[in-house]
Amino acid sequence: MISFALRMLRHRKAGFAGAFVALLCAAALVTACGMLLDTGLRGGVAPERYAGAPVIVAGDQYVRQAKESGKEKAKLLSERRWVPASLAQDLARVPGVTKVVTEVTFPYAGFTAHGWESAALTPFTLAEGRAPKAADEVVVDARHAGRAIPGHRVVGVTAQALPGQDTIFFATGEARRLAGREGLVTAIGVWPGVEVTVKGAVAYTGDERGAVEFPAAENSRVRLISLGGALGGTSLLVAILVVVGTFALSMQQRRREIALLRAVGALPGQVRRLVGGEALLIGAVAGALGSGAGILLGFWLRSRFVDLGAMPANLRLVVSPFPPIVAVLTTLVAAWVAARVSARRTARIRPVEALGETAMPAAGIPPVRLVAGLLALAGGVVLTIVLSGLNTEAASSPVTMLTALVWTIAVALLGPLVARAVTALPLRAPGVAGYLARKSLRAGTGRLASVIVPLTLMTAMTCTILFVQTTMGHAAQSELSAGVRADHVLGPGASAAAARQVPGVRAVTEVLRTSVRIDLEKYAVQAVTPVGLDRTMDLGVVAGSLDGLGDTSAAISRTAADRLDAGLGDRLRLVLGDGTPAEVRVVAIYARGLGFGDLTLSRELVAGHVDDPRGTVLVSGGDREALHRASGVPVLDGAGTAQVESPNAAVTYVAMGLIIAFCAIAVVNTLAMSTLARSRELALLRVVGTTRRQAARMLRAETLTATVVAVALGSAISLVTLAAFSAGMTGSALPYVPPVAYLAVIAAVAALALVATAVPGRFALSSRPADTLAARE
Amino acid sequence: MTEAVRLDAVSKVYGRGRSAVAALREVSIAIPRGTFTAVMGPSGSGKSTFLHCAAGLDVPSSGSVRLGGTDLAGMDENALTELRRRRIGFVFQAFNLVSALTVTENITLPLMLAGTRVDQGWLREVVRRVGLDGRAGHRPAELSGGQQQRVAIARALVTRPEVVFGDEPTGALDTMTARDVLTLLREVVSGLGQTVVMVTHDPVAASYADNVLFLADGRIVDAMAAPTAEKVAGRMTGLGAWN
Repeated sequence: MISFALRMLRHRKAGFAGAFVALLCAAALVTACGMLLDTGLRGGVAPERYAGAPVIVAGDQYVRQAKESGKEKAKLLSERRWVPASLAQDLARVPGVTKVVTEVTFPYAGFTAHGWESAALTPFTLAEGRAPKAADEVVVDARHAGRAIPGHRVVGVTAQALPGQDTIFFATGEARRLAGREGLVTAIGVWPGVEVTVKGAVAYTGDERGAVEFPAAENSRVRLISLGGALGGTSLLVAILVVVGTFALSMQQRRREIALLRAVGALPGQVRRLVGGEALLIGAVAGALGSGAGILLGFWLRSRFVDLGAMPANLRLVVSPFPPIVAVLTTLVAAWVAARVSARRTARIRPVEALGETAMPAAGIPPVRLVAGLLALAGGVVLTIVLSGLNTEAASSPVTMLTALVWTIAVALLGPLVARAVTALPLRAPGVAGYLARKSLRAGTGRLASVIVPLTLMTAMTCTILFVQTTMGHAAQSELSAGVRADHVLGPGASAAAARQVPGVRAVTEVLRTSVRIDLEKYAVQAVTPVGLDRTMDLGVVAGSLDGLGDTSAAISRTAADRLDAGLGDRLRLVLGDGTPAEVRVVAIYARGLGFGDLTLSRELVAGHVDDPRGTVLVSGGDREALHRASGVPVLDGAGTAQVESPNAAVTYVAMGLIIAFCAIAVVNTLAMSTLARSRELALLRVVGTTRRQAARMLRAETLTATVVAVALGSAISLVTLAAFSAGMTGSALPYVPPVAYLAVIAAVAALALVATAVPGRFALSSRPADTLAARE
Repeated sequence: MTEAVRLDAVSKVYGRGRSAVAALREVSIAIPRGTFTAVMGPSGSGKSTFLHCAAGLDVPSSGSVRLGGTDLAGMDENALTELRRRRIGFVFQAFNLVSALTVTENITLPLMLAGTRVDQGWLREVVRRVGLDGRAGHRPAELSGGQQQRVAIARALVTRPEVVFGDEPTGALDTMTARDVLTLLREVVSGLGQTVVMVTHDPVAASYADNVLFLADGRIVDAMAAPTAEKVAGRMTGLGAWN
């Protein structure tokens, strides 16, 4: 059967091109996602600053909790965990250890700052000058030779500079003072590379040292796992949907051939094997080529992510044979599943059909498909309800995509019913073309159904992907605009004390953003200075009061209160960003959690537990110019504020953009297949006197009908999904859909559909009709 | 047993209840081995349904169909398919070759599907008899309509079936080519002793047969031995076919 399948493929290349392209894109997407996932799981960062020390002893960068099942769960901390400096002495006593070097790390004016004590970790050596001794003396790296550091004297320049960071060294004592964590150090280097075990710290070797050195890289590595997984899962589902659609269409077009095979003695099982064999062959070739393309796509994605700041440049992309292998296997499985699904149809093709002209089959709906469609509908309803109850982005994002997809699958399964309903509507376009279009849509509801599916998919996915982001952004932004009372916002590094001295300033609030974990769950935190808070922000307090906010209390958002089942006066045990446990009492519950964060803590509690304690400063009153002069940092308007745009949205656009592109390819694919297969019918119309223009208009009218239906369905799907998402995340079931963006999506879908009809239509109409009719199958 | 096919009180009803249409009504007929039978009738007379039921392509609503000594009743689709590919050959109106395969491959397709070895001697004999010498490696698209029909006849013969059924085998051919194909079918019957049953609406085509059955309104209304085109045409006019 396989050799027979191969001959069929060779002979009908055009008929299989659609399925081939769909599978190729699927393989590429899966490979690229697999590479991200692989990098997330196994990727590492080479150490730079710690490269000279064989063993780095530092804090455990995970917060761990034993679950009831006895399994331990670990979550990455958002800030670096420090270790007691006294550990150095314990380490020095370990047999075999010859040298121990301690280090503190903190940000200083755009530099990564340390004490000169830790120069040996890299090792850094002096190219000129001497080591810093006095409090105002510094040494800069080779890249910054000759650069003046305000308030300090540059007494030396190192011979080295690190590729990923700008380094500055203070005198050891001054560095410890500036780091502001008494008795604690960031890391301890140990020589030589012996095995050491220490209580309360972890010994890191090899690339593990890189993970300690670059917590941000570690963070984005972990994010890549969920991103790669979500993207891969979504693209896999989309791929199966698209591939099944393409196969089904090509089966429809091969009815006659299959009927002939059946008539000369092919068993239904043999036809299924033939179709399956063809699918596997296409799958193998498309999978191999697609996974090659996918590796390039993976590198492109990485470079986009690096540009967007979502992935550090030094996080190496893991290139291993696994993603391509998995991609080829999934492509084969997808192709095989698609073939099995469409072969269900071919088994019903009766051999008698080979004996006469077969009419375009009406879009009947077999019971199995009807049941599957209804199940998908039920699944859509369930997922929508579940989604409306999800209030964390981590849980909500993947479910949102899944919900939209399941609704689309329901549409795909029930497509024939939809198509029949549409053609039953008493609508008609004017003119001959309109008349013909109407007749041919009625006659070919199966074809209409198969064209509607990719168009619906594209509309639904695009709208959902775009408007999830706008809904979140809009909700957060409107809470911020409503809640920020400050007139000015000073960028990071501004001195709050200096701002307070500016005439006319009524209140100054320092704001620090970080996160904490409660029961391993992550909560976004804003840490503020409580004095005068009511003059710089209005969190929309619904219970309690912010007056008593101190280092043992917390205000929490209504959403967080629901999640934690916490009320006023309840105690919360939380783990601060660097792993330090803390206990706070809930003194207020507020409404504007999206704009300001799940928890509001006092800055005093948090500042000592973040890597970068500089935050933004909100100022009420005062003059912009004066503030700029006093603080030395850029001053922003209070309204245009506060929250730094996270790279998340941009990353989502890039990643999900691939899925939209895939849907677009599916649209082009399906329309081209469906139009090209009609060259005989078009030739017939031309012979009986239809002009080329009328035939083209008929095609256009049919495509427009399909597009209108698909846009309506797709919009409805994404509206339902977005409403559920919005209800869960923002508390309001009204998603934010910018009309211009929505119109642009519709215009793009319609334009794509029309072009994908017009080009093959022109091709099909280009040959002389008599030739087309004379040509035999 | 001298009958190749026997139908006993075969009826076929399409649809149910009020919209039911009877395509065949209690048709009984025996077709002797080694004969060439033409089935004629006006449009809607049930001749296609007759062919489908006799050939095991369709299952009658009632009555029995026997092929050789085998009763087709109660056979499932797989069993019917296997029976068809071993014991029945088909020639359709037109376009009934797989365009991906060469002439030889098209001819041996039923054997390949059955997993049977090709008898090379018989294959050569069949190819020679249908006049396709030197065309074995061609693809259907490179052949004329008449040649394509010869390939279809060769395919029908290659399994040495008990009956070859033809559904308007000359319907898509011009007069000259049709005559060649009919002569070939006639030779197949006379020279090889093959049984052929052919549905047609063309009196000239029917005149090549040994017997002609006339169907009207789902019943066999007449039969004619040693037909000529004139006699057949006259009988058809009597049935109201060309009114």
